[in-house]
Amino acid sequence: MQAYSLDQVERLRSHLAQDRQLYEVRPDGQGGQHWQLVAAGDLGEFLPLAEPPPFSAKSFFFPERELLFRFSGGNFYSALPVVCAQVLFGLHACDLQAVAYQDQFFAADPHYQTRRRVTLLVGIDCLHSCAGGFCSTLGSGPQVHADNADLILLPRASATADWLLLVASSAGAAALRGLDLPPAQDDWQAERNANSVCVTQEQGAQREVLEGIASLNQGLIDTQTWDEIGLRCLGCSGCTSVCPTCSCFAPLDLPLELPTEAGSQRERVWDSCLYQGFQQEASGQNPTVSAGARVQRFWSHKFGDSFKAQFGSYGCVGCGRCDRVCPGGIGVHGVMHKVGACSS
Amino acid sequence: MRVVPSICTFCGVGCGIGLRVEAGQVVGVEPQPGHPVSQGQLCAKGWATSFAIDPQNRLTSPLIKEHGVFRRASWDEALARVASEFQLAMDELGPSAVGLISCARASNEDNYAAQKFARAVLKSNNIDHCARICHSPSVAGLGLTLGSGAMTNSIADIDQAEVILVIGADVTENHAMIGARMLRAQARGACLIVIDPRKTRLARLADIHLQVRLGTNIALLNGLLQIIFANGWENQPFLAARCEGDEALRRHLATLTPQQTSAITGVPEADLLAVARRYSQARAAFIAYGMGITQFQSGTNNVVAVSNLALACGQIGRPGTGINPLRGQNNVQGACDMGCLPNVYPGYQDAADPRVQAKFAKGWGTPMPAQPGLTSLGMTHAAQQGELRALMIMGEEPLLTDPDQNQVARAFAALDFLVVVELTLTETAKRADVVLPAAAFAEKEGTFTNCERRVQRIRQAIAPPGQARSDWQILGELAARMGYAGMRWVDAEALFAEMTALTPIFSAMTYPLLEQRHGLQWPCDAAHPHGSPLLHGEQFPLGRGRLLPVSHVPPAECPDAEYPFFFTTHRLHFHYGCGSMTRKSPLLERETPRGLLFMHPADGSAQQLQDGQGVRVSSRRGWLETRVQFTDDLPRGVLSMPYHFREAPCNRLTNDAQDPSTKMPELKACAVAVQALALGVAPQIQAGAAQVNHYASL
Repeated sequence: MQAYSLDQVERLRSHLAQDRQLYEVRPDGQGGQHWQLVAAGDLGEFLPLAEPPPFSAKSFFFPERELLFRFSGGNFYSALPVVCAQVLFGLHACDLQAVAYQDQFFAADPHYQTRRRVTLLVGIDCLHSCAGGFCSTLGSGPQVHADNADLILLPRASATADWLLLVASSAGAAALRGLDLPPAQDDWQAERNANSVCVTQEQGAQREVLEGIASLNQGLIDTQTWDEIGLRCLGCSGCTSVCPTCSCFAPLDLPLELPTEAGSQRERVWDSCLYQGFQQEASGQNPTVSAGARVQRFWSHKFGDSFKAQFGSYGCVGCGRCDRVCPGGIGVHGVMHKVGACSS
Repeated sequence: MRVVPSICTFCGVGCGIGLRVEAGQVVGVEPQPGHPVSQGQLCAKGWATSFAIDPQNRLTSPLIKEHGVFRRASWDEALARVASEFQLAMDELGPSAVGLISCARASNEDNYAAQKFARAVLKSNNIDHCARICHSPSVAGLGLTLGSGAMTNSIADIDQAEVILVIGADVTENHAMIGARMLRAQARGACLIVIDPRKTRLARLADIHLQVRLGTNIALLNGLLQIIFANGWENQPFLAARCEGDEALRRHLATLTPQQTSAITGVPEADLLAVARRYSQARAAFIAYGMGITQFQSGTNNVVAVSNLALACGQIGRPGTGINPLRGQNNVQGACDMGCLPNVYPGYQDAADPRVQAKFAKGWGTPMPAQPGLTSLGMTHAAQQGELRALMIMGEEPLLTDPDQNQVARAFAALDFLVVVELTLTETAKRADVVLPAAAFAEKEGTFTNCERRVQRIRQAIAPPGQARSDWQILGELAARMGYAGMRWVDAEALFAEMTALTPIFSAMTYPLLEQRHGLQWPCDAAHPHGSPLLHGEQFPLGRGRLLPVSHVPPAECPDAEYPFFFTTHRLHFHYGCGSMTRKSPLLERETPRGLLFMHPADGSAQQLQDGQGVRVSSRRGWLETRVQFTDDLPRGVLSMPYHFREAPCNRLTNDAQDPSTKMPELKACAVAVQALALGVAPQIQAGAAQVNHYASL
C-alpha cells in the first residue's frame, strides 16, 4: 500500500469534507457518541475513541427504515434512496470487517449498493483495546484489513510523531488528489504489528469465547442451558440493532393518500430474530417459540462454522456492543461464560 | 443524518435516548452509553420510538364533530368553540362544572400550563391525571408516614444494595432498565427477593419468590414485621432516634403468628422467616414497588405497610436503601410535581391553604379557587350526575385505562362538551366534540421527571406534523381567548422559569443547569443546588417517620359461585398503556399474543378449554370475547389480562371500588366468569361493546 505521513489528521478530514458529506463520531454532551456531519471548516480536534460508538456503519447502508416502493393502486414506483458522496471518517477495524460482511450479504441489493457506492471508508487502527472487545481473537482487528477500507489511519504514537495514512483502494487514492503529503518514512508495518500485539495482550486469550464457539459448533450445549439464557432475554432487540452484521428485516406497508385512489408504500425495517413473532407462522406454529431457541439461533449465526465458510469470517467481529446493550446480561461474554462450561 | 439526545417517552425510568433524524423524521434511536440511568441500553419500547411517533396516523389539524362525523377546522374556529363551550358550562353551573384531565406523558411545562389553566382561567381545582389510578396511594401513604410521596433514593442505589425487595412490580417488563440494573446487582451478589402473585420473569430469576395470594399485601407485610419484632431484628436505634409509633405497631401485631400469616397469604412460614431475616439484617436493603401494591381499595394502607417495614428496619436515608415507588409513565412524577392534582399546587403546596392560594393569586394575577377539586374518577361520576358539563382530556385514554369501561362511556356521553388533545385518534378522542392535535415529545422542548425525581431535558428533533402544537401553547391560546393573557410564554424555558420561581423544591433549577448534569433531582434549591439523590438522610419532612398500624382488607369483590375466578391486570413488555404508540410498530404489534386472557393450564383443563380457544369473560360490569392463553405465570384460580388492547378492553371487567383517601380504583382484583366459545369460533371484537357503542352514538 502507498503510505503517507500526515502531520495533522484534521487536514485530511477537511480535504475529504470539501466534496463529500463527512461523518465522524462526536460526543453529544449528554452521554452519547454519534456519527455526526462535520463540515470542511470544522477544525475541531479529531479524537479517536477507544470504544466503538453504539451505532456502527451498518445504518449508513442498511438503514433502519428504507422506502422500497410505492403502489398507486395501479402502478408500482420503485424508490431508491437519494444519495450524495459521503465519507465515514474513523471506522474501527471491527466495524470495517462488518461492512465487508454485509457487502456480501447485500451484494445484489440496489438500496444497499446505492448508498455503499457513494461512500468512502476511512479506517483507523486501534492502539488500545476497547473495554469488552475481542477482535484479536477473531482476526477482525485491531489492524484494519487492507481490503476493508479505502484509506487507513494509524494514530500518533506520540504527540510529536505524524499520523500514518495508507491508501488501500483506488477510490482512496483518488480522494487524496489535491492533498500534498510526504511519503511515510518509518517501518509502519512493524508499528502496526506492534500495536496489534499490544491490543491482543490487553484482550487476553479469551478462552471462554473460544471454548464457547467450539461447544456451539459441536452441538454440545443442551436445551436447558439455552432456556436459562433465554429467560434473561427481554426481547428488547438491542443486540440485533447494534450488531454490525445483523441484516434481518421486515416489511411495513403504510397507506399512501393520493388524490384519486388509495395506495400504499412499502418500507423495509430492521427486524430482530429475538422477537417471538419473528418466525411465527400464519397457522400459529412457531419453530422458535422458546426464547432459548431464539438466542441459540442468534449465536449460531454469529459463530457458526457454516456461516464462516460462506462469508469467509464469523458474523461476530468482536466489537462487544451486545455486551453493553443487553439488559439481561446475555451479550457475547455473558453467553460464552454460561455455555463454555458445557464443553468440559 | 443527525442525532438529538433526549429522554424516552415511555416509562418512568427516564432513559437517555438519541433520536436519529433524517429528512425531518425520527427514523430510529441510539442508546446513550454515558447516561446515568440507561447506561447505554434501551427496552423494546424505546427501540420502537420511530414507529411510535410516525406521522402516518397523526392528527394534523383540529377536528370538530358535526352530526357524528369529524371535519377539519382551523385553530381559530376550534379554540373559539372550546372557549365558548367552557364558558357556557361555567355560566350555567359555575367552575365546578368544568374540569381538566392532564397528561402524565406530556412535559412538565405542559402540565404546569394545565393546572394554571384550570385554576387561573376556569377558576377550578378540578384537575387530575392518571396518577390517580397509579401511584396516588404512594403520594398519600408516604405523605402520611414520611411527609413526602416520592422515591426516597435513586436508581443508582440499586448498585449499593445488599438486598433488593420487589413487591407488586414486574420490573423487567415495565421498567426494563431498572430490572436490568437489579439483575446486574444480583450478578454481583445482591439477594433479589420478589413478592408477586404471578411468576414474572423477575420472580423466576429471583433468589426468593413469595407467590403471595392476590390482595393479601398487608397481611404479608404485617406478618414479616411481626416476625422481625418477635426476633428482635428491628433497627432499635433508628426507631428511637428517627421514628414514632412503633409501640402502637408492636401492640397491633402482637397477636399475629407466622402460621396465621402463612394461612392468609399462602406463603410458607419458612419463606416468611427467610425474607424477614434477610431484609431486616441487610446492611442496605432497597424496596421497589408498583401497581401490585397501589391498585387496591386498601392501596394507601398497602403503601403504609411497606413504609412500616422499611422504617422498622431502618432501611431508609442511606445509600442502597429506601422506599422506591416505580412511577409508571415518563412524566407522571412531573405531572404530580406540577400540581395536576385537585388538592395541591406545583411542588405539593396545599391547595386548601389560604396562604398558598394568596401566593399563586399574586403570582398569576387573579384570585384562586377556594372550592376543593374533584379527582378523575370524581369527575367521571359528576359527569354522570350532570354536575360536570365540560371536560378537557389531554393525552389520556380513560376508555381503555380507567376501571369499568361502560361507566366511562356513560360519563363521556353525559357531558355537554368533551375536548381531547391527542397525537392520534384514540378511542377516547373519537368520543370528543373537538379534537386538538398535539406535538409529540420529539417535537418540542421541555422537561420530563423520572421516578427518581430527576428532571431531565427533552429536546426538539423534528417539527410537529401539520398544525400540531405543544399542549402548553394550545392552553395559552385558549386562555387568551377566555380573557386571561398570562399564559403566553415565549418558549418552554420561560414557562419553566415561571414555575421554578413559584415552586420551592425546583427553585434552583434552570435549563442550562439541567443540561450540564443529566438533569437534577428535586429538591433542588439553595440548600441543595445540585439536587437531592438521597432523601431523608437526617430527618423526614414530618420530622420523625411514622409507623401506622394497618390491617388486612380483602378486595371488594372476591370470587364467588357466580364469578368464580379472581381477575387481575398487568402489562406486557412490548406495549405501553393503551397501545396508541407502541402498536404502530409492526414488530411490537407482532408480539401481541394470540390470546389475551391468561390462565393456568390446570384451570384450563378443569374448564375443558384448549389453549387458544375463544372465550367469553364476564364480570358484573361487562363482558368481552378473546382467546385464552395458558401460562404457568399465574396461580390457579387467578386470570389476568393486559390492558393495552382496545379490541379486548379488560377494564370493561374491572370495578371502581375505591381507596377511601385517594379514590384509587381496585384495578388489581375483581371476580370474573369464563365461558368457552365453540371450538373453531373466533372471538368477536365488538362482543360486549353494546353499551360502549350505544353511549358513543349519543
